[in-house]
Amino acid sequence: MSITVFQAKKIITMNSNCPEATHVAVREGKILAVGHFDEMAGWLDQDEHRLDTTFAEKIILPGFVEGHAHLLAGGMWKYLYVGFHDRIDPDGKLWPGAVTIEDVLERIRQLDSTLPAGEPLIAWGFDPIFLMDRRPDKTDFDEVSSIRPIVIMHSNFHVMTVNSPTLELAQYNVDSDVDGIAKTDNGEPNGELQEMAAMFPVMRRLGIDFRELGRTQEAVEAFGRVCNRVGVTTATDLINDLDDEAITDLKTFTGRKDYPIRLVPMLNALSQTAAETAKRAVELQAMSTDKLRVGGVKLLTDGSIQAFTARLRWPGYYNGAPNGIWNIAPEQLQTLIDLLNQNSVAMHIHVNGDEAVEVALDAIEFALTNHPSPDHRITLQHCQMADRSQYRRMKKLGVCVNLFSNHIYYFGDQHAAITIGPDRAARMDGCRTALDHGIPLAVHSDAPVTPMGPLTCAWAGANRLTASGTVLGTPECISVQEALHAITLGPAYTLKMDGKVGSIEVGKWADFAVLEDDPTNVDRQTLKDIGIWGTVLGGIIHKIPTE
Amino acid sequence: MVDNLPTLPLTIISGYLGAGKTTLVNHLLRNANGRRLMVLVNDFGELPIDADLIESEEGDTLNLSNGCACCSMGGDLFNALVDALDRTPRPDHLLIEASGVADPARIANIARAEPDLSLDAIISLADAETIIHMINDKQVGETVHHQLVTSDLILLNKLDLVDESDRMKLVEQMEKKAPNAKIIETEFSQIPIDMAVGMDTPDKSRSEEQISTGSHHGPYVKWSKIFQNRLSKVSLEKAIDQLGNNILRLKGIVFFTDSDVPHIVQCVGSRCTITPIQQPDMSNEPHSRLVAIGLKDKLDVEMLDNIFELCHINK
Repeated sequence: MSITVFQAKKIITMNSNCPEATHVAVREGKILAVGHFDEMAGWLDQDEHRLDTTFAEKIILPGFVEGHAHLLAGGMWKYLYVGFHDRIDPDGKLWPGAVTIEDVLERIRQLDSTLPAGEPLIAWGFDPIFLMDRRPDKTDFDEVSSIRPIVIMHSNFHVMTVNSPTLELAQYNVDSDVDGIAKTDNGEPNGELQEMAAMFPVMRRLGIDFRELGRTQEAVEAFGRVCNRVGVTTATDLINDLDDEAITDLKTFTGRKDYPIRLVPMLNALSQTAAETAKRAVELQAMSTDKLRVGGVKLLTDGSIQAFTARLRWPGYYNGAPNGIWNIAPEQLQTLIDLLNQNSVAMHIHVNGDEAVEVALDAIEFALTNHPSPDHRITLQHCQMADRSQYRRMKKLGVCVNLFSNHIYYFGDQHAAITIGPDRAARMDGCRTALDHGIPLAVHSDAPVTPMGPLTCAWAGANRLTASGTVLGTPECISVQEALHAITLGPAYTLKMDGKVGSIEVGKWADFAVLEDDPTNVDRQTLKDIGIWGTVLGGIIHKIPTE
Repeated sequence: MVDNLPTLPLTIISGYLGAGKTTLVNHLLRNANGRRLMVLVNDFGELPIDADLIESEEGDTLNLSNGCACCSMGGDLFNALVDALDRTPRPDHLLIEASGVADPARIANIARAEPDLSLDAIISLADAETIIHMINDKQVGETVHHQLVTSDLILLNKLDLVDESDRMKLVEQMEKKAPNAKIIETEFSQIPIDMAVGMDTPDKSRSEEQISTGSHHGPYVKWSKIFQNRLSKVSLEKAIDQLGNNILRLKGIVFFTDSDVPHIVQCVGSRCTITPIQQPDMSNEPHSRLVAIGLKDKLDVEMLDNIFELCHINK
């Protein structure tokens, strides 16, 4: 087997034995040696080898690990993006934020003029709260087309605004008396449909199916390109049905040589009985390939803070909203965690509010007492509101956290002003507290909820700037080095893949992120702006395609 | 996908863990009496079917020998509902066994919004032994309470485990906690199937029959009547109002004096709707038909006769 030696301006290894290097040798897709070229002679004498200087002026880091994203981040691009924030699509096209109603309408008009007659026009990412002047309704979209159904999904996926042809399709009219069908002053539906019930007839008739949207070959491939653009080489799909058909498809899609990531889909633990979940997870454990890692499960406890569906402890929501919802009863959660723990199934538990954290920790404590499991790596996902006493419990129980640092930027202002108030917002996604307690830490984007971009997640953890430019809780900021750890080895540890990915060390897979600048040598406020050249996966170069 | 089939009525079966939802579903499937029921079972629920009823299995769906079917929702209510609506032949009635912490009102809202579905009833089960304790639970109390408050009918179940002397007090407490729901005392989730999925409208002139449920608690009574002449809508609404707590369900096809099209009257618990029939069969005589079901100790057949006689307008 031949050896390829990659030369770089600097290699940041995230391995404290050899934190920096200039060369990394790769054989059979794995890292053979790290250091300086001269130190590799022993290997190079044995085999034919080649010095690759493609990265001579670049900075190499371990390939980034996105510990909480969804394949939908690829699938959504089937539809038109009309969000307020800039986003880059899987093919590298920048979609500048649509910051006025006219921007949104112009973008929709353009697509309308090219779509075949009869085909519905569907857009996503809409955020009317940022469009200052007024809230658009059906009349705006009727002006684009009074024949073609138009559906504008809001960024939260809980609301849509539609035009009159779509309302007719759903048979909504003056007489429709359903929570969620917003009305004008004279009682007609105004085009805004809130929550699943009101959206159901529209989605059913137009075939909008989010589950399917994340399953197609197109979506999986687009997801790979989304990852590649931001330096990610290992990414999770944090909820998947993982039936046999899905496994066959995913093996095929990810197995291709040009597929740039290792995909880690997690079984939805709430879509069957506890016993069936445990059985399926154990079956899946035997099905992994190098590029498709299965066997872990996702458990959903509460909802989200910004939708007021997260479960909060006293004193609850800052604006007095009633407490959120459970997706599973606490006693059922305990049974489920206990059974999964007995079967050594890796668990990723969605908890947003601090009451959900408490319930999850109670269940974990019960399960671990009942059946000690020294290296369980149970990971609390999001875990946005935990207080210090809960972090102390996490430490005792050996629990990991994957914090939603991007929330500080995208929703931090709203959290301080509306959802949980300034004091608890200042401790949100407490990266510093987690590290101070020695808790394994990762940060994530939850793409497509926020755009995928580990450097942005790291930036958010290190700077805690909100969209309005204020710092939310300075004491919770972490250093750049710690933030880089939280997008490489940190998440790799939560996935029990730290022996294979997350640092540039002998024996690991040759997965690299190739950067234009040195993140340890820029102003920490510009961390997110560092250019990405591409990635290397198992020694294969994946340059981000340019037009 | 979207066609002109009759709407599919939906009954939601709600209630916290251990209240008897699965028992109720099994009881209904076993006693479907020729109705093709389709049951969707929540995310992590066991498919509640006794083995002797199962005829075949396809994917997540169990087909029963009596024409009913039962399917796991797999955590995806959207797709389960789409599939149920697309099923051919379309079932006569859809039941959803919600999870122990689900909000039945949210599910009911889908039936209100979707033109091909109609909301029949929200039924909650409450474990008589534990319900007061559960309502006060720190973590799930308000969820459980909300389920009761949004229900049309509450089955106060497992009453065999409660002392006779405590029952009256318990019923009073429940009435206070959920003032708009009708409370039915049950054991082993035993209710007549008509209570869960509604009644067929009567075709004979007057009948009064006992419905045996195998429970020694308050046998139910059924009343029905055919009116030769048209009814006054205002009087009918008044009559329904007057009945108050005495009926659990009322259903009928009614011809009003001031409308050409017949209307469907549907009352479950204290929720009543009167809606015009979209594509009425006008070939028959405009005879109104009503049927009601209630508890024998509360439903006085003579009183019903008298009350509804007042709606009868002789032109």
